[in-house]
Amino acid sequence: MAEEFNVEGMLDVYLFENEQLLEQLQEIVLEQKDADCFDEDSINEIFRAMHTIKGSSGIMMFDNVTAIAHKLEDVFYYIRESHPENVVHEELVEHVLQVVDFITGEMDKIRDGDEADGEPADIIAELDKFLDKIKNGAIAEGQELPEENKHEEPQQFYIAPVANSASRFYKIYINFFPETDMVNVRAYKTVYALKEIAEDLLYEPEDLITDESSVETIQKDGFRILLQAQCSKEDLQGIIKVGYDIESADIYECKAEEFLQGFDFGEQEIQIDLESEVEEIEKKAEENEKDSEKKTAQKPKMNPGDFVIQSKEPGKHKKLAKDKPKNAKDSFISVNVKKMDQLMDLIGELVISESVVLHSPDLKIPGLELSNFNKAASQLSKISTDLQNVIMSMRMMPLTNLFQKMNRTVFDVSRKLGKDIEFEMIGEHTEVDKSIIEHISDPVMHLVRNAVDHGIESNEERAESGKTERGRVTLSAKTEAGKVWISVEDNGKGLDREKILEKAKKQGLLDPTKPESSYEDKEVFQFITLPGFSTNEQVTEYSGRGVGMDVVVQNIQSIGGTLEIESMAGVGSSMILKIPLTLAIIDGIVVETGNSSFVVETGVIKEFVRVTEDMMIHEPTGEEYIMIRGECYPVLRLGEWYGMDDFQREVNQGMMLIFEVEGKTICLFVDRLIGQQEIVVKPIPSYIKKVKGISGCTQLGDGSIALILDPVGLIE
Amino acid sequence: MDDMNALANEHDAQKGKYMTFKSGNEYFGLKIQYVNEIIGLESITAIPETEDYIKGLINLRGKILPVIDVRLRFKQEPFEYNDRTCIIVINVKDTVVGLIVENIAEVVEIQDENILPPPSIGRADAHNKYVYGIGKVGNAVKLLLDPDKLINDDDLLVAEQASDMNIDEEGEV
Repeated sequence: MAEEFNVEGMLDVYLFENEQLLEQLQEIVLEQKDADCFDEDSINEIFRAMHTIKGSSGIMMFDNVTAIAHKLEDVFYYIRESHPENVVHEELVEHVLQVVDFITGEMDKIRDGDEADGEPADIIAELDKFLDKIKNGAIAEGQELPEENKHEEPQQFYIAPVANSASRFYKIYINFFPETDMVNVRAYKTVYALKEIAEDLLYEPEDLITDESSVETIQKDGFRILLQAQCSKEDLQGIIKVGYDIESADIYECKAEEFLQGFDFGEQEIQIDLESEVEEIEKKAEENEKDSEKKTAQKPKMNPGDFVIQSKEPGKHKKLAKDKPKNAKDSFISVNVKKMDQLMDLIGELVISESVVLHSPDLKIPGLELSNFNKAASQLSKISTDLQNVIMSMRMMPLTNLFQKMNRTVFDVSRKLGKDIEFEMIGEHTEVDKSIIEHISDPVMHLVRNAVDHGIESNEERAESGKTERGRVTLSAKTEAGKVWISVEDNGKGLDREKILEKAKKQGLLDPTKPESSYEDKEVFQFITLPGFSTNEQVTEYSGRGVGMDVVVQNIQSIGGTLEIESMAGVGSSMILKIPLTLAIIDGIVVETGNSSFVVETGVIKEFVRVTEDMMIHEPTGEEYIMIRGECYPVLRLGEWYGMDDFQREVNQGMMLIFEVEGKTICLFVDRLIGQQEIVVKPIPSYIKKVKGISGCTQLGDGSIALILDPVGLIE
Repeated sequence: MDDMNALANEHDAQKGKYMTFKSGNEYFGLKIQYVNEIIGLESITAIPETEDYIKGLINLRGKILPVIDVRLRFKQEPFEYNDRTCIIVINVKDTVVGLIVENIAEVVEIQDENILPPPSIGRADAHNKYVYGIGKVGNAVKLLLDPDKLINDDDLLVAEQASDMNIDEEGEV
């Protein structure tokens, strides 16, 4: 049991990490896809990502992933080390994306509990070819090949690195100024710096951080380090700087045997001190000797290898170890949505309790001195409002990921279609509720593909029509009037009004009594959102089957959004999605009928009208209509529909709400309007079977429940 | 280990205990482990087009619960709600429902040997199907309710369909 559980946890972490790495990788690649080559940071970044993926996949025994990651790592290793000039950047980008896709595919399989059985051989072979090509190019140009990047199994146990001929051994003594604080931390800092270059490292006192007595030891005896590294003494002096805290650092070179003896040094060392006076040096040397004698008497011998210091492949660490300062990425934790909902409920409760306290009848007693209370109360209200805002913002996520995906789509599709297209993103940091992002991802993808596929003309056509600028697709997002506007614009040929009209005519969508020219552009373009309507004669891999725009529109409508199409022949078109910021909170109008409150989403209400009895038309069957400005609408009395006894029956006493949904209009008669407010949507408990016309419920400021009316259901 | 013992003890402590309430002329009993809490009558928001015994929704500290009227559920005459009227909040297989009852009686302990199966002969009384046993406490008799049947029963299918639909809807919302 326990073991299984562990593996599960590891797998989650593995998937999560790799997902992030791959995303990051893709981002880097796409950012620089139009450049001539990757800059050094990106090469390092890609190399590092592949290295990590290789390592973790090795541990998790996903051999195919390991193999492919290793291959790409090789390629980038080569590029990093020998800076070949002849790399075809586009090819490289494609290879990287291929690998990213492969690994992402495998990750998906693993997540779904399937075997990661993808066959990487093809891609590896291609990468090999690619690597050969750039290598051969390098040889032809007379460049020296760097040593092969050997695939080493991830080291999990410490193996004392075998010293090669280039390794040198040092003994280092560091003395801190006597009045320096926290010498142990300072010593640790030095060790940390040395670790980057060290093949092997050993120091005394051994326990720097947790053992309090180390401070005393260092102050008394100095801090001693044994180091095996491929570097010169000058390098070391560069790392261990004598300065405001370190009084002196003595560095001696020694032989391998001495090194292996640990701190039990003999007396044969040659002392070189650059900073101190001769007398001091001598004094110190004596002290050191004494100290080292004492130490050997007291402490057991330490040997290299007692410490676990992960060694890295020789020659690599310098670059690997020096992380460039990462662009300050936000850190995230994932939280169970249930907990968030719980928090939201609690905060709702808090707000209500607050209003109960603040409006308590006890406060109404005349002559009470309330100035302190009022001060505290306003402070409380401020905090609870802030709290509400924070929890709302917690559900919000930037659109960055979605936009990056689109970047990739444009890249792929334009490549396949042989179009030269520039992709521009604006406002990708706009924040939207997480659940909305899930819903708009497909529609946006579709619109972007459309723009690339048949918005932008082919290169030849562009040249013919005399367009000099590159094809451009712009994806932008902004928040406006409580909605998010996402627009996909292209500078392509635009929609062909005549073609659409012709097709609409063929399908019998046009009103024969209306002349074609009287259709507004907007109306004409709306035709393409109807099912089975595609003006593209040829079915391509990406579009033209006539399923598409209608699905886009449906998806957008299901979350309360709209699609607007603007286009100019020859200049381009833009598709604008207007979607609500969140689904959990809607902007609603609260109305009352009888004693019950109801909420209607503000967006669907066309207008409020006060009517008089003479505008009403009664049918003998009991159905009612109303005549407003020459248009006739069906009327629904909310109280009647709801089966209430006590509600306003006189039409001139109540209020008519005119709804417009999906092209249909209906009037709803309610007793009175209460106001407009933001409401938190809650589902009706599943115990109660679904009622037509009600989409959920909410809690009003006074704690009572209001039902949210669903206009679509009401119309039915 | 201590935790487990404590749990077992708690379970033991609840065993054989019944929350009893009065509805009509009879006393009913519900196993106490189903009972979350008892609250006073709150303002109920009615829902159109539902069974008449589903009185509507209440807001219990931010949670929205359906409430059902037990008298109407037993197809008895409706009663006037007053300040003795209570809502018993029960949790049956994660469905949380409030039961509106006239009057809470007490918590009684009924040993298994004092529980008889309901008489199978006799009038096919409407509420027989919710009663799985008759508990004797001294001279009094309590009708023991199966809460699962009480809230679901013949509406089970309907309820299930409804919940499916709700899930769909939540997905969309």
